[in-house]
Amino acid sequence: MESTKKYWKGLEELQKTPEFVENNKNEFSEPLPIEEVLEGTGLAAATPRRDFLKAMGFGLGAVTLAACSEAPVRKAVPYLIKPEDVTPGIPNYYASSYKGAGILVKTREGRPIKIEPNPSCPINGGGLDAQAQASVLDLYDVSKLKGPLLSGSEASWADVDSFVKGELNKVQASGKAIAIISSTVNSPSAKAVIADFITQYPATKHVTVDPVSYTGIIKANEASFGKAVLPQYHFEKAQVIVSFGADFLGTWISPTQFSKQYASNRDIKSLEAKRMSRHIQFESGMSTTGTNADSRIAIKVSEEGAAVLSLYAALTGAAVQGATLSNAGAASAIKLAAKELLNAKGAALVVSGSNDIATQTVVNAINAFLGAYGTTIDLDNPSYQYTGIDTDFNTLVADMNAGKVGAVFFLESNPVFTYPKSADLVNALGKVALKVSFADRQDETAAVCNVVATNHNYLESWGDANPVEGYYTLVQPTINPIYNTRQAEESLLVWSNNPVQEYYTYVKNNWVKTALVASGKTWDDVLQTGSVQLAAKPAGAYTFAGNVNTAAASIAQASKAIAKDVELQVYESVAIGSGAQANNPLLQELPDPVSKVTWDNYAALNPKYAESLGINQFDIVTLKGGDYSIDLPVLYQPGQAQGTVSVALGYGRVKAGKVGDAVGKNAYPFLSYINGTLQGVNSVSITKTGGFEELAQTQTHHSFEGRNVIREATFAEYKHDATHGSGNHGAKHKTYDLWNKYDQPGHNWVMAIDLNACTGCGACIVACNVENNVPVVGKDEVRRRREMHWLRIDRYYTFNEEGKKVTEEKEIEAIEGTMENVSVVHQPMLCQHCEHAPCETVCPVLATVHSSEGLNHMAYNRCVGTRYCANNCPYKVRRFNWFNYWNDSRFDNYLNNEFTQLVLNPDVTTRFRGVMEKCSMCIQRIQAGKLEAKIAKREIKDGDIKVACQQTCPTNAIIFGDANDPNSEVSKALKNERTYYVLEELNVQPGVGYMTKITNTGLQEA
Amino acid sequence: MRNFSSDFRRLVRSLMIVTAITLGTSGMVSGQGAPADSTQAAGAAAPAAGGSAVNGDPVAGEALYKANCTSCHAINKRVLGPALAGINQKYNDEAYLIKWIKNAPAMVASGDERAVKIYEEYNKAAMTPFPQFSDDDVRNILAYIQVEGDKKPEATATGGTAGGGEGSADTGVSNFMIIGLIAVILIAFLVILVLNRVIATLERLLLNKGEAILAEEDEVEEEAKDKFAGLKRMAKNKKLVFFVVLGLVVLLASFGTVEMWNTGVHTGYQPVQPIKFSHQLHAGTNQIDCQYCHSGAWKSKNATIPSLNVCMNCHKYVQATEKYDGEISPEIKKIYTALDYNPETQAYGDNPRPIEWVRIHNLPDLAYFNHSQHVKVAGIDCQKCHGPIETMEEVYQYSPLTMKWCINCHRETEVKHEGNAYYDKVIAAHDQIKKGEKVTAAVLGGLECGKCHY
Repeated sequence: MESTKKYWKGLEELQKTPEFVENNKNEFSEPLPIEEVLEGTGLAAATPRRDFLKAMGFGLGAVTLAACSEAPVRKAVPYLIKPEDVTPGIPNYYASSYKGAGILVKTREGRPIKIEPNPSCPINGGGLDAQAQASVLDLYDVSKLKGPLLSGSEASWADVDSFVKGELNKVQASGKAIAIISSTVNSPSAKAVIADFITQYPATKHVTVDPVSYTGIIKANEASFGKAVLPQYHFEKAQVIVSFGADFLGTWISPTQFSKQYASNRDIKSLEAKRMSRHIQFESGMSTTGTNADSRIAIKVSEEGAAVLSLYAALTGAAVQGATLSNAGAASAIKLAAKELLNAKGAALVVSGSNDIATQTVVNAINAFLGAYGTTIDLDNPSYQYTGIDTDFNTLVADMNAGKVGAVFFLESNPVFTYPKSADLVNALGKVALKVSFADRQDETAAVCNVVATNHNYLESWGDANPVEGYYTLVQPTINPIYNTRQAEESLLVWSNNPVQEYYTYVKNNWVKTALVASGKTWDDVLQTGSVQLAAKPAGAYTFAGNVNTAAASIAQASKAIAKDVELQVYESVAIGSGAQANNPLLQELPDPVSKVTWDNYAALNPKYAESLGINQFDIVTLKGGDYSIDLPVLYQPGQAQGTVSVALGYGRVKAGKVGDAVGKNAYPFLSYINGTLQGVNSVSITKTGGFEELAQTQTHHSFEGRNVIREATFAEYKHDATHGSGNHGAKHKTYDLWNKYDQPGHNWVMAIDLNACTGCGACIVACNVENNVPVVGKDEVRRRREMHWLRIDRYYTFNEEGKKVTEEKEIEAIEGTMENVSVVHQPMLCQHCEHAPCETVCPVLATVHSSEGLNHMAYNRCVGTRYCANNCPYKVRRFNWFNYWNDSRFDNYLNNEFTQLVLNPDVTTRFRGVMEKCSMCIQRIQAGKLEAKIAKREIKDGDIKVACQQTCPTNAIIFGDANDPNSEVSKALKNERTYYVLEELNVQPGVGYMTKITNTGLQEA
Repeated sequence: MRNFSSDFRRLVRSLMIVTAITLGTSGMVSGQGAPADSTQAAGAAAPAAGGSAVNGDPVAGEALYKANCTSCHAINKRVLGPALAGINQKYNDEAYLIKWIKNAPAMVASGDERAVKIYEEYNKAAMTPFPQFSDDDVRNILAYIQVEGDKKPEATATGGTAGGGEGSADTGVSNFMIIGLIAVILIAFLVILVLNRVIATLERLLLNKGEAILAEEDEVEEEAKDKFAGLKRMAKNKKLVFFVVLGLVVLLASFGTVEMWNTGVHTGYQPVQPIKFSHQLHAGTNQIDCQYCHSGAWKSKNATIPSLNVCMNCHKYVQATEKYDGEISPEIKKIYTALDYNPETQAYGDNPRPIEWVRIHNLPDLAYFNHSQHVKVAGIDCQKCHGPIETMEEVYQYSPLTMKWCINCHRETEVKHEGNAYYDKVIAAHDQIKKGEKVTAAVLGGLECGKCHY
């Protein structure tokens, strides 16, 4: 309780704007219109009595008639011939993979309903990100095509095949080139298919184009070490991490893997061993990684190169051109970072999110100087997650324009949307005779193609992936193809007259030849476990052979070009990423980890900077860079560097489908080629349009009204006293109970959440939504604070002035100056399952009651919707169903259609309009786990039951288990000195314990 | 109101059935009498005509045949093995047949031409060897086959028409009913017409004798006056009126309460199913374990209606032909139709149509029920909830499936915790709280909302 630090969820809370105060008076922003009905035209109307009688008469009659009717006849249709492995009511799990990450697909009666992480996956190690969790809904997307298209109209596969083959032969004869354009393909079988295709049509080129590429790193590694690869990073081996704009916990290369590695030096075990890594982030926009950094220094986009150079200079002592930072704060931070990096030589890692070859070359020089190669960076076991080289596609577009290309195939690639010069591309495509897209929908690129060879969803496909050296995963189908689609690889096999026409056989043959031989496993082993891991090659140390001085010159030049006007940084958002899954409502409604905005992208500006420009929050501004401009609402983003604006990519799709169309604006055209790579920096002008659009933000909903819910300490304080900041000193107040104590003789299900491990990524929210049939409500409803998420992640800002505690109002005013120095705490908030639950005592119908297993039950069919419980909940975790989201035409785009509803978990009821709902602690999983133990006549083991949020968390920040078992993980975690309970002073005795956030302020304290 | 309508429906249904039965049986009796006789006559005559080389006891043979052969063979029909009628004539070598029947695989192995031919013809399905048979046993069986084989062709020849007739009668039981009903209605109309005629005649007669009628009418009115007077007298008795009204109110109220209380309770719900599947025959007479078909009940929340491949485990050869004069039972045929299975060629087609059973036990979506918890863990008999299922010709809902009914059972039923390690810890904890009391489901939290509603 000693912390008097001021935490705030948003600027409106910090400044206590009248709207905010008004909105927070009540749990529900809009009262029921009772007064209106009583006073207004309702009763005073001409014939209210007659209308009333009519309505009542009709109602009575209707009810009587309805009661007379027989119960509807329900049919039960058993299998004709039941597959041996399927028992109705029992899920089957299949090992597969999603973009190289090992997953287990849960299927019920033959339909996939949930994606779960495969604990044996060495990349994600039992964690999964939000996009993978949401991907199951892509299977049931109504916007997909139902069959192949030939010249825009539906056709049979035979027609498509003969057309494509005919065209290919013509192209072959004409001597023109054929191009297969794909995003990164790391599937060995798909690569082999493409190789076979090239053998059949030797004029074929395979061009890899990634919407957001890592060409800079690949090219820099080629220049520095002669290896054109994307290395594997080992954050778990790094004691000091310095990142220049690399959002490695959110979107950079392999965020789930990095989160897991990163958290291993900051979680309970590590802290108990008094070990904690130090993370310094230099960036302009506030990223998820920035919010987790121990020290975050806001720098302008144009200063990033100079910052990297000055770090190099500070480390090596060499004089480098351009190694000066005008920003004094950043310059001193660089000096400090250099000192810390030097202290941690061999366990240090510097990363940069830039796609600039020169910047990455200097980063390589720094890492080589710090001895990172062989320890924290592995060049010998490279990553194949992104292999695209930006210039390749440029060359191809030029060839197309020159009429040298006769056929193009788009595989998992939508360049008409993602290519910055989209109009040029469309123009160039006009000169290509055969254009084939393998998209599953009529997307932006497919719309300009003459053939759309609809591809399977990955849950319907065979396939494999080789995301990193030595690790091979299998993709296996978990459902028969729903529509008349065909796997892209199979189409290529057919068109290239391959002797093997079936992709399954092809994949199997390929595995038998390669990975199975190397690992000594059988095909069935791999089908069961999903992957093969070969022994890693020893990671060697490398000496830097690049040229820092030429790089420095190039950096200086590029910086100068950006440092005009307002500096724009475009970035991938955690939820939408590159925009490929933009039609997924679960992802659209996932609040951004930092801004908590849903259903939109926006121009993020520093509040002070925006004020200086005379721009208010939610004003619509025009961003103009070069000849492209977009209108976006402004978001005041604390922590954003002055003079910069950040815009998320992946929005503004026009042909994504019902959900994703016209959500936000497309920022891809702002990407520009600088020194041969596609970079997300630009300089733009900002002008107010005079428009206003309120973003659907969840940040100020469900406010704690300034109560102290976050506990923090620095690592130094923690080492001195582990209970520091947690409020767990000495004797607690004596408490008195109004109620008799509940006995929990069997189980006592509780949860522990480590605030120091939580990165705020939001995977748990999506996992919870899918598991518990939580409806998607859409932008308007989110604006009305009616989002239904059972689990939310509260993001709190606090002022931070390099280790100094900022407590007094005056001091806040002093440093509020720039609004750049804020630090962030993420706090997952869900039903706390209080022993003395305030919601239970106010329910007039006993719809929410306590169980003997420590859970707060919610009986939906008993609830009459008084909403007293939500008003009485201090944690604001109860959600009210304003609509029947499953059967209401207003929600047609999301889940109100029979096809999409196949994704529903049959073990969880869908709630009806007018009832409350909330986190049930995945009671269906608890019950299933107990039953399994009972049938096997054994005790429940710790870890048998995993709740959905815990299961997907890459950093194990959420631990669930039985508190009555003293040896369970959760019991141990809750005995941790850092454990505190949110609002424990209310004596509601929550069942969810939190562990204090520890910040490693490093040398600043020494 | 609901009850009234269902009562009415029940009444109509029973009336229809009664009419149908009376009409149907009379029709069948008259139609079948003659052929049945002729069959018997033919059966008696046959052995004398064709009984050339058979010397065994057909009666002893019948028992052996039914115990050992029927799972693969029929007399006049190809099943898994060939039809047996006429084998004595076909091979005409008793010793050879005895050798074959006692050890068919050996015959095939020895390369006997005819045995190999049959073996090949029947998809290389080896016939079970019967070393336990004595030569006389086999002779008895052959004798029985001879008797049956001789009898059947004529029986089907004559019975063919009878069987056909019956077949059409069977598919047309409803036809009979409809014809019967039409007849009844026609007769009723005729009666009404005749009566109308009579009334008209009488009226005419009466009009002719007007005076007499008037006198009679006066008399009637006087009598009516007397009657009303009695009622009026009763109406003046306030106590009587009070009790009558009270009685009526109580009657209505109790009737109404019961009615409303049972809204949505469908005890006794017995819909017509697409296949007349008899639990009485399968679970009762044949003693087939419930688990054989409803295997899900032991491991899943769904008891599962068996898929048709489970039916086919038996009904590939159990075709109840003996009940339908050599024809496959029409109900079993429905399984074949659903699977697009041809019993002659034993091949599956590619036009299967699933059977849509009518669900009898419907829990609302808001309630979660798991069979394995109750059947496997708690060891509750199926009959506890589903009633005397083994005696049900057609299944009906036996239990009310109300929450009260669930809760009562949870209150009373003791948890079967012995030998189940899961409960050890839980029960131990409880023992400290509840010494000596029996541990019911309710004690372990079986009444809590979240145990069934989530």
